[in-house]
Amino acid sequence: MDFRLTEEQELIRKNMREFAEKYVDPIAAEIDENSRHPVELFRQLAEGDWMGIPIPQEYGGAGADYLTHTVAVEELSRSCSSTGFTVSIHVGIACMLINLFGSEEQKKKFLVPMARGRDLGAFVLTEPGAGTDVMAATTMAVADGNDYVINGTKTFTSNGPTGDTYLVFAWTDKAAGRKGMSTFIVSKETAGMKAGEHFDKMGLRSSQTSEMVFKDCRVPKENLLGKEGNGMAMAMTGFDHGRVGIAAQSVGILQAALDESIKYGKERVQFGTPIARHQAISWMIADMATDLSAARYLTYAAAWLKDQKQPFSKEASMAKLFAAEAAMKHTIKAVQIHGGYGYCKGAKVERLMRDAKITEIYEGTSEAQRMVISGNVLR
Amino acid sequence: MPVLVACFKWVVDEAYIRRTSAGELDLSSVSYKISDYDRNALEEAARLKEAAGGSIAAVTVGIPEATKGVKDALSRGADQAFFVADASFGDIGAPETAGILAEVIRSRIGNFDLILCGEGSSDRYDQQVGIRLAERLGIPCISFVQRIDLEDGRLLAERRLEDGIERVSAPLPAVVTVLPDINVPRIPGVKDTLSASRKPVVTIGREELSGLPEAHFRTVSLTASRLERQCERFGNDGPEISRFVGALRQKGILL
Amino acid sequence: MAGIWIFAEHAGQALELLHAAQSLVDAGMGGELTAFSWPGGPAPDELGAGGADEVLMLPALAEDQPLEAYAPAILVDARQERPDLLLFAATARGKDLAAQIAAGLDAGLCSGCISLHWDKESKTLEMERLLYGGAAVQRIAPLAFPVLAAVPPGTFRAGPGNPGREPRIRHLMPPPASPVAVQERKPRQRLEQDISASKVVVCAGRGFEKREDLALARELADALGGALACTRPLSEEMHWLPEDLCIGLSGIQVKPDVYIGIGVSGQVQHLTGIRGAKVVCAVNRDEQAPIFAAADLGVVGDLYAVLPRLLQALKEAASS
Repeated sequence: MDFRLTEEQELIRKNMREFAEKYVDPIAAEIDENSRHPVELFRQLAEGDWMGIPIPQEYGGAGADYLTHTVAVEELSRSCSSTGFTVSIHVGIACMLINLFGSEEQKKKFLVPMARGRDLGAFVLTEPGAGTDVMAATTMAVADGNDYVINGTKTFTSNGPTGDTYLVFAWTDKAAGRKGMSTFIVSKETAGMKAGEHFDKMGLRSSQTSEMVFKDCRVPKENLLGKEGNGMAMAMTGFDHGRVGIAAQSVGILQAALDESIKYGKERVQFGTPIARHQAISWMIADMATDLSAARYLTYAAAWLKDQKQPFSKEASMAKLFAAEAAMKHTIKAVQIHGGYGYCKGAKVERLMRDAKITEIYEGTSEAQRMVISGNVLR
Repeated sequence: MPVLVACFKWVVDEAYIRRTSAGELDLSSVSYKISDYDRNALEEAARLKEAAGGSIAAVTVGIPEATKGVKDALSRGADQAFFVADASFGDIGAPETAGILAEVIRSRIGNFDLILCGEGSSDRYDQQVGIRLAERLGIPCISFVQRIDLEDGRLLAERRLEDGIERVSAPLPAVVTVLPDINVPRIPGVKDTLSASRKPVVTIGREELSGLPEAHFRTVSLTASRLERQCERFGNDGPEISRFVGALRQKGILL
Repeated sequence: MAGIWIFAEHAGQALELLHAAQSLVDAGMGGELTAFSWPGGPAPDELGAGGADEVLMLPALAEDQPLEAYAPAILVDARQERPDLLLFAATARGKDLAAQIAAGLDAGLCSGCISLHWDKESKTLEMERLLYGGAAVQRIAPLAFPVLAAVPPGTFRAGPGNPGREPRIRHLMPPPASPVAVQERKPRQRLEQDISASKVVVCAGRGFEKREDLALARELADALGGALACTRPLSEEMHWLPEDLCIGLSGIQVKPDVYIGIGVSGQVQHLTGIRGAKVVCAVNRDEQAPIFAAADLGVVGDLYAVLPRLLQALKEAASS
């Protein structure tokens, strides 16, 4: 087994790191504090082909593999997990779904500007009454002439206020159960779709999250992605890809937590010696480094399977479950290592800890991941 | 349509050099990079090509493992690369490097307009290769350049020296060594890196060269630099600062 | 032995190299000292007083010729006279000339040479230089002569000299015209004092939050009768101070009686610029900053709190 990244992947990682240090690090604290979506940063990301890495070049992407995109999300998240996440959901779910299920016309019209980074994608599934229980959704899409008319309320839509191209999931045939949901591509300007106020969140604050309200929203029939009834299957495929991205995001958070902890551990002197030499701290750092390594390999293996065109649902779920829980556990430790300073705004570990929590919740809570994994393993 | 040549070196990234507890140099976890000022040379070549058309050949002398460096250079605008590789080239000195570059450029590239080098490499900082290369090729070299303009058959350059700026001209072909002030190298995009692998690379072995110059020096020792002094520490409150001033006085500093 | 040649753009630099060369000669290398002069360059009597036995006089160059045009003239004579060692003050032009002449002689050139030593027993010359941005010291010995060295100004100190000593003068033939032509010279305004000549250097680092705050460092420099300098980021990135105040591996190397780094972390590239300082002091709020390991006296504290107290304490000390 060759565990090494290719030379291209290593160079791309290095370039992403340099980009992040140059353009993301200087603004990460501010966009978190002000809960601001940095439009200029995403323009720069688009210029470097970072907004569509695994999408074929003919559709505006870089034409690389999913592992390369995964590594890029990790490096970006190391500097700002909001930014890494926004790229992850835009590429890993929105772009990928159109790439996998879209018609030629849909790809040309929607995917090309998205993969080029000009348009930002969003995944609109969750509802106030339907989180883990996706089937409890109530948003309906009724066929009417040349259109579908969508009514309903969605919530916790990332890129809700800032998106350009929305993948909206709605019932076209509720009676058909799992085969009754469909996916629609809805453009920003479409009448009848409105983003609510951006939520004021604990962490991941630069990522804009909101409700999406659909009131007699007319969407042309050409915007149906794939066939009627394929919505749920598409959502699951979306989750597989997205979870690898969240795992990568968590790995980035873990790496940042480790970097900060090592730095502080070597600088901070108590009882006449840098605290990293005290066993309590050095063991915390050892555990952090070990879980980071495990999370990274789980994540890369899942991405690799996808690139090999192998099924990867279980592995994506495992990677997401493990990496998210590790990120939460160890960012708490990182704050602990920093003591009082780690509890104050301005310390990077303070932001890392707040950012880590959501990774255990979105794109399938850890509980949902356990359902997926046990379902798979107990077959 | 100028034919441009950019020379680069794949070097230890000194940010990763650590010290053992005994104070010795620890190069076990170093990674490599294109030497900082060579990046400026590659970027400048890319800018000149964007302005005037033409082609860029990247040339490097190094160990066979430096294939990643060749790809890195190709991702920065070079159209093709010449990679002179041998296990013995890891520690090679400036005269030998210049000799090899001269031979390869003369025999494999032939007619060229401008060779761009960094003003010095970030590992050894000899600041000799560009000038020695020009001597070998019998062409002029303009060093410490912060701005380049190409005219018909001529090069206009701004040199930054201690006492000011010199604006000079030289006929082409010529060599320039560039300062980091000349540009800010762009970060290659993903497509730039991916397309690098599809560009032609000519790998040249040691046996294909017509002989190497003898080394001029032998290394007596290579040690970690010792900058340690016994630091007497002072607090930052009033009495401590007064004590600090007292220590300065004791050392004969204060008038 | 066939002697040591010295080339420096400025008399002060030439005197440093002459003194260093004299030490080598005295240590057993033997031979005479020869130094270069030209119209606008170091004057022959200064070079003689500094220890040169012979001065090689280069003729005036045409207005549009760069200093490096002298290379062929120097080379012709070097091939004939075969000196053992050629020392160049490592200004930009000096480095360029040294490399050209080394290439022409097919000789080795030790760049950034920080020490010269003649070993009596083995009869070898040893030279030292820094690698990896200052992290390593390489000691080398030439395998053949002639050998060249480019020495950063300030590495050696000028000696007491021999005032009134008259060197022999030999005139060299003019070189052919160089294909490199100078179109224009824009001299830099030298607003600040030459920090390499200053006995006291106060160096500002990244600990300063705003350009205006450098006034505090300036005040300290004035209080101590010294010069203000900075680390590379303050001149190259932030452009708060001009580069001729920048101390470091690729900047100026200083050997003052006292260096005080304020808010300077002590990166190796900077520390190599102050190796020769007699007393190194540091003020930094990070107790683990690398500069403390390279300092004699260290104050751990926020510069914004420490500097006013220090200025106050100096005032009190001056009046007492």
